[in-house]
This record gives sequence, C-alpha cells and structure tokens, in this order.
Amino acid sequence: MDSLTQVTIDFDRSHLIFPTLIGGILVLLGLAIIAKRRHKLAEAGAYWGQIASHMDKPRFLGTLVLTVLYFSLMVPVGDIWPNTGLGFLICSIPYVFATGVLFMHERTLKQMLLMLVISVVAPALVWWLFTEIFFLTLP
Amino acid sequence: MEFLSLITPLFLALVVGGTFVGIIFGAIPGMTATMAVAVCLPLTYSLGLENGLALLLGLYVGGISGGLVPAVLLGIPGTPSSITTTFDGYPMAQRGEGEKALRIGITSSFIGGIISLFALYFFAPTLADFAIEFSYVEKFLIILFALTVMAALSKDMLMGIFSGFLGIFIALIGTYDISDGGNGKLRLIPPGTEYWLDSGFSLLPVLIGMFGLAAILDEAELGVPKGQSKEDVKIGSGSTFSFSVFKGQAVNLIRSSGIGTFVGILPGVGGSAASILAYSNAKTFSKTPENFGKGEPAGLIASESGNNGLTGGALVPLLSLGIPGDSTTALLIGAFTLQGIQMGPLFIGNNPDTWNAMIFAMLIANVAMFTMMYVAIRYFALVVTIPKHVLFPIILMMCVIGAYTINYGIMFDVWTLLIFGLFGWVAVKLRLEVAPFIIGFILGPSAEIYFVKSIESFGDLTIFFTKSWIAVILWVLIIGSLIASVYMSKRQRKLEARLL
Repeated sequence: MDSLTQVTIDFDRSHLIFPTLIGGILVLLGLAIIAKRRHKLAEAGAYWGQIASHMDKPRFLGTLVLTVLYFSLMVPVGDIWPNTGLGFLICSIPYVFATGVLFMHERTLKQMLLMLVISVVAPALVWWLFTEIFFLTLP
Repeated sequence: MEFLSLITPLFLALVVGGTFVGIIFGAIPGMTATMAVAVCLPLTYSLGLENGLALLLGLYVGGISGGLVPAVLLGIPGTPSSITTTFDGYPMAQRGEGEKALRIGITSSFIGGIISLFALYFFAPTLADFAIEFSYVEKFLIILFALTVMAALSKDMLMGIFSGFLGIFIALIGTYDISDGGNGKLRLIPPGTEYWLDSGFSLLPVLIGMFGLAAILDEAELGVPKGQSKEDVKIGSGSTFSFSVFKGQAVNLIRSSGIGTFVGILPGVGGSAASILAYSNAKTFSKTPENFGKGEPAGLIASESGNNGLTGGALVPLLSLGIPGDSTTALLIGAFTLQGIQMGPLFIGNNPDTWNAMIFAMLIANVAMFTMMYVAIRYFALVVTIPKHVLFPIILMMCVIGAYTINYGIMFDVWTLLIFGLFGWVAVKLRLEVAPFIIGFILGPSAEIYFVKSIESFGDLTIFFTKSWIAVILWVLIIGSLIASVYMSKRQRKLEARLL
C-alpha cells in the first residue's frame, strides 16, 4: 500500500508534474460539464446566434478594430521619435476621438467639437503626467 | 507609532482623492471599484508602497460606496454589490425621499466600513501569526481550500471549480522559475511564442484586461447605453434625513456589517453575495418583513452596511495568507508585487508600519467617503449623468498605460490586455466564473511550488493528509465546503428567486 502513494520526482521533469495534474483535472471537469450540460450544448449555435443578433455590431466590432489599430501603430510611430512617448500621444488622440464618436449617440457638431477637445487634452495631460512627472516609459 | 511618519499630506491627499474618484466610478453604472483600481494602478508605480496603497484603498472604499447613488436614484446598481440597495432605496426615491435614502445608505456604508475595519485590525494579525507555522503542505491545502470555497459560492459549482483550475493552468504557462526552486524549463508554450511567453502572462495586464477592457466590451456590445439626463435624477426633498431613522437598527447594522465582513473573508466572493445575505437576514428578522422592497429603511441599512462590511473583510485573507478576498483585492496583490512585497503570513510582522498605514488609510477613506457624500450628495447624484462616450475612451487609454508600463515597456503586455479583455467578455458568455479564474491565476504558481516541493521533500502523497492536525482540519473544511456548496447553491437560487 505504501508503494502506491510513494512518489519520486525527477527534477529534470518536475516542470511537467503540476501542469499535467491540473490539465488532467480540467479534462475531467470539462467532461463532467459536457455531460451535465449536453442539452444546452446542442443549443450552443442558437445561443451564440442570439448574442450576435442582439449585439450592437458597429460599436462592438468598431471598438475591437480601433483598439487593434491603436496597439499596432503605437510602436512604429513611437520609433520615429524614440524614448519620448510620442507614439502613445500621437496614436491616443485619434483613438480617443474615434472611440468617443463611435460610442456617442447624438453626433451633433457641438458634441463632436467637445470630443475633439477632450481627445487632445486628455492624452496630452496623461502623457505629460507619466513621462514628465512619473518618468515612466511610454511607446 | 513610527508609521505616523508615513502619514504625509500627500498620503492624505491620495486617500481623499482616491475616495473621490472611487465614488465617481462606483456611481456610474457599468463601472466598478475593481475597474477604478485597475485604471489607476499605473499612477502608483512612482508613488512608493504606502502612498500607492493610500490611493488604491481610497478607490476601493469609494468605489464600493458610490454604487448606492444610481441604485437609489435610478434603480440601477452602480456596482454589483449595490443590487439590494435598489430594492428599498429606489422606492424611497420615487416617493420623493431620494436624499433621505442616500444619506441612510451613506451612514450605513460608513458604519459597515468601520466595523469591518475593526475586524481586519484584530483578526488579520492573529490569522497571520497562526499561518506562519504552516509548511508547504498546509500552504497548498489553504489554496485548495480557497478554491473550493470560491467554487462553493459560485453560481454553478462545477463551473466555479473549472474556472479556478483554468486560472491555475494559464498561470503555469512559461518557465518553471528557478528562483522559486524550479528547473528553469519551459512548458505549455505553443511553438514560436517562446519569445513572448517565456515568463508567461503578466498578472496586471491580465487583471486590467479582464476588469477594464472586458467591461467596456460588454457595454459596447449593448451599444454603450445612453447616460441619464439631469431631469432623470430626482433627488427629491419630500422628507429630510435624521439620524433617528437608525433608532432600533443597531442589531441590523452590526449583523449586516458582520455578514459583509465574513463574506469578505471568504476568498473570491463578491459584494453582491454580502449584500444579498445581509438583506435577506434583515428581512427574516424584521417585525415588518412585508415592508421590505417597498422603501423600508431597514433594508437599505442592511444592504449598504453589508457591502461596505466587505471592504475590511476582503483584506483579511490577503494580508494574512496572501489570498485575495475579492477581485479588487486581487488587484492590490499586483500593487504589492510592483513594489517587490511578497504577500503572505509574514507581511504584517515584517512590515508593521505599512500595515498600520493601511489601516489608517482605510479609516480616513471611510471618513472621507462619509463626509464628501453626506455633504455633497446632491452633486455626486449628478455623476450618473456623465456621458460614457467621454469616459470609456479615456479608460481604455489608461488601461494601455497600466499594461505597458508594468514591466517597463513591453508591448506584449498590451496585447495581453486585449487577449484577456476578449477572454473576459467571452468567459461571461460561457458561464465561466471570473473571480475563481483570477484567484486561480494569482495563486497557481505558488500552488505548484507548494505541491511539488512537498512531494520532493516527503516522497509520499499521504503527507497531504498526515503532515499535521492543521492538514486534517483543512481537509475537513475542503470536503465540508464542497458538501455545503450543494446545499448553499440550492438555497441561494431560492433566495435570489424570492428577492429578484
């Protein structure tokens, strides 16, 4: 009986013990969830279809696209003026403006102008605070 | 009293400022105390530990308290923990007693916060002293216990356990760290991603993604619901507030604060459970339960003292065991890590001044919350009208700063933010439980070290059962929590069905 519970760990392979154990538990739990929810799984397509149909696609997908663009451009733009954080500042201004307009409900000229002012002032203030006062690295 | 040297004007300004900003975050539906802490974390990078904590604790107390404003005035909980505040606060506002309801809520929040602070001050050091004796075996079992308690209190126990283990699994991605006694080898890394995932996913970008970006994606999915106009905010002047409303409510206040504190101590359980339990108990023990849900001040008192009771309670396991009590305190772990402080039983003993400064910050935050909200409640009520199309882009920008600067400028951390923002959004749709996932993610690497080192040292799996009487008690608690979960999930479903 003792030998059943005794374990010797090979140090070279010790990095795999816990991930294997947790992975095994996850598989078992996953199977239990599938067994418990098999009826709901059959309706998964309809469930996701419902989410997609109720979704405000322009705002949701627009946020994702703008965010991916924002993240992608920050470093290349920042590399033009290295160690200044200008990549962050230059990319943040259009990003804040575009997402602000995307989230806006009544796109009047007054609202757009207000958003333009905010999208210049807020990133500039944040950039100044973090680079000049806190001396943190920005892209 | 050496900690008093840490209480500088800057420290006080950060607590008060943090509380102010926290109230604003809490008061805007869709924004939470957790989001406030996530967004403001980068501000703490240069502040030092005590000043950084002053800001974050202020945000925490303010964020939890601010949720009562829209709950009372609009019937929409500003944070999940204010859900039961809507039951009686909103009917009061509708009959012209908005200001009175808000002041009842503010006073109850203050009392709940102070009672839980006492519990924190006296209970956390005792628990820490006890936990100092723990070996790797007991430490591993404590983590296992934390996960089972979280799972037990999840909406679906199976999904709760799965989420916790998934968090652990994702935390294991990367190198088995040599500094922790590992062999320095990589695991769970897809080919070609070694460069980015060598150290796994950083904690803070994951947290900021799941609590900042995911919340905004949720709102974007709903079309970023239009904010309220000033005309919608009817604070009313039908009835003036008097402290006499608390006459005969001492037991309710203490009981609800105690429930909130206890729920806070349980790892991974949010404020909504605290306020629902406090509210249902107040209703059960009330002489006039039929008035609950129709504008009964006792219901409002129970809900608000319960959810603010959570604030001190949730810090108990964090400061004594290194296990976060809720998602906001999980972010505080990030703040400690940033300053090179390891959370665990040794924290209070090794950092008495920081500990005392934290207690002082919590006290000031509660006083500041009460004073600001009590005096200027008419102005805070207008916070609910701030348009989200202005706030959300700025929050997204702050999320980027938090993720990018955490490791002094690694762009992969920013992409981590996006990956986990999307994951957080999908997780809710898949009914995964976010709190157990996060706590599993935070505790995963420690759980691995404790587990593997225990076996390396003793060479026998039975050591987890036979190491000490504490191990035996922990197993009893683990099994007990799983059994209780089945009973509690049934009871919780009944309670929610009755209340909602």
